[in-house]
Amino acid sequence: MKIFQIALGILAAIGGFVDIGDLVFNVAAGAAFGYQLLWVVVVGVVGIIVYSEMCGRVAAVSEKAVFDAVRERVGFGAGLTTLIAAQVVNLMTLAAEVGGVAICLRLLSGLPYRWLILAAIVALGLIVWVVSFDWIERIFGYGGLCLLVFAVAAVKLHPDWGDVAHGFVPHVDTSDTLLYCYFAVGLLGAAMTPYEVYFYSSGAIEEGWGPKDLGINRANALIGYGLGGFLSFALMITGGALFLGQEIEPELLGSIAMGAQVPLGQVGLVLALIGILFAVGGASIDTLFSGAYNLAQFMGWEWGRYRSNAGAPRFTLTWLVLLVLALGIVMTGIDPVMLTEYAVIFSVVALPLTYLPILLVANDKAYMGRYANGRLANVLGATYFVIILAVSLSAIPLMILTNVGQS
Amino acid sequence: MRLAAYLLLATILLAGCNGGTVDLHALSNDSASIDSLACEGALLANEVADGDSLGPFTRVHAGELGTRASNFEDALSERPTTPGIERATRREAEKAGRIAALLDQLATADSEDAARLKSRLEREGDCP
Repeated sequence: MKIFQIALGILAAIGGFVDIGDLVFNVAAGAAFGYQLLWVVVVGVVGIIVYSEMCGRVAAVSEKAVFDAVRERVGFGAGLTTLIAAQVVNLMTLAAEVGGVAICLRLLSGLPYRWLILAAIVALGLIVWVVSFDWIERIFGYGGLCLLVFAVAAVKLHPDWGDVAHGFVPHVDTSDTLLYCYFAVGLLGAAMTPYEVYFYSSGAIEEGWGPKDLGINRANALIGYGLGGFLSFALMITGGALFLGQEIEPELLGSIAMGAQVPLGQVGLVLALIGILFAVGGASIDTLFSGAYNLAQFMGWEWGRYRSNAGAPRFTLTWLVLLVLALGIVMTGIDPVMLTEYAVIFSVVALPLTYLPILLVANDKAYMGRYANGRLANVLGATYFVIILAVSLSAIPLMILTNVGQS
Repeated sequence: MRLAAYLLLATILLAGCNGGTVDLHALSNDSASIDSLACEGALLANEVADGDSLGPFTRVHAGELGTRASNFEDALSERPTTPGIERATRREAEKAGRIAALLDQLATADSEDAARLKSRLEREGDCP
């Protein structure tokens, strides 16, 4: 039964790993640089595994989610800065994901975009209001598994596997080094986006994890995110094999779906669109919850889906307000793919604010007792923190110098 | 906090700024993007010709590609240029217009028309 539970969690994590940021950056990176940036995905996936395991462990042992720990560990001022940065990035991401859902629905139905934005918002609100946490995870996680069609597409496109293997070794084989660095930063940001850890740690509390569940935490983080990274590889290989040779810059969600359509026909197209719909829809709910979790945890309000909507009124009101704000942003007509790029790059800037408190708390013996970080977790955590710091300092300059990845 | 907000705004404006005078670098970038739209359209046309697409998908995606091409046509036909590249810029605008028209046709094309549009898009975009 426990193995079954772990398997379900892992399946959900694979399907739920990819969001609009991963879709955009992985396929665009493949189209621009072939398989050269596959190694960055590995770096990003290991990073999210390391920090998710830590914050899941903190949640299971202390029964405190990330923002509880942030407020307690870094104080009100720094905590408030972290909260504001997290909420701004979260809202941008939420709006981009909602826009992505509407675009997918439009590609499937041909109906008008603005009506589909409204439909997406209403549907997401109803799902969050009515459906239990477990089922939300399962529905979107399993639906997102349709994205595995990109793995089949990648094979059917017959990439040069020697070049693919070479992509896992860090190297720069281009004259446009700045653009290469911009994509590297974006890929790292997409893999380690902060809402993932907020959602993961709060979810651990929702599911009532305790020290006995540390094995499930490790398995979910390691295998779930690890195999989720496999989808990122598939997307980048598809982008490289299909678009690079044809000199196409895939800038639309429809372009990404064509990555499965060209090698697999109508079936590939339908599976890709359904997979993208569920992946982006699931990420919308993750970001929506993350925003509400963050504020409620920071303010010390009642929070969580394990309570009824009326049982945590300010938490419920927060996610309703976030949904309305996202609606307002997407209704302006802003391009969700462009918004995604900004959201990912700004999330990179906020990464140190998210990950430093997790590292400090997970390493705090007074807080964690015998479950505090061991040597390996500390070495990995510290190494990644240095990487995150360097990447966050270079994100905005790179965005300006490359005109948001245009040159 | 106010300083941070100004910096954020300035960053977005600087990064998103795509207006003003067209120089050689911008023209070269825009030209590559226009060719990319044509080549992606040709790829989609090939799927339509083979009966491997869905009606709504073709309509919406070809329409989106067409809108982007049309935006390039508007921008490149109006924006001032640096000396010596005005004719090339206006020629590129005309090409973007032709590609936009082909993509609009693709949105409602049957498989026979799609095969014809594919070769025309490939020619316009100088696709590999």
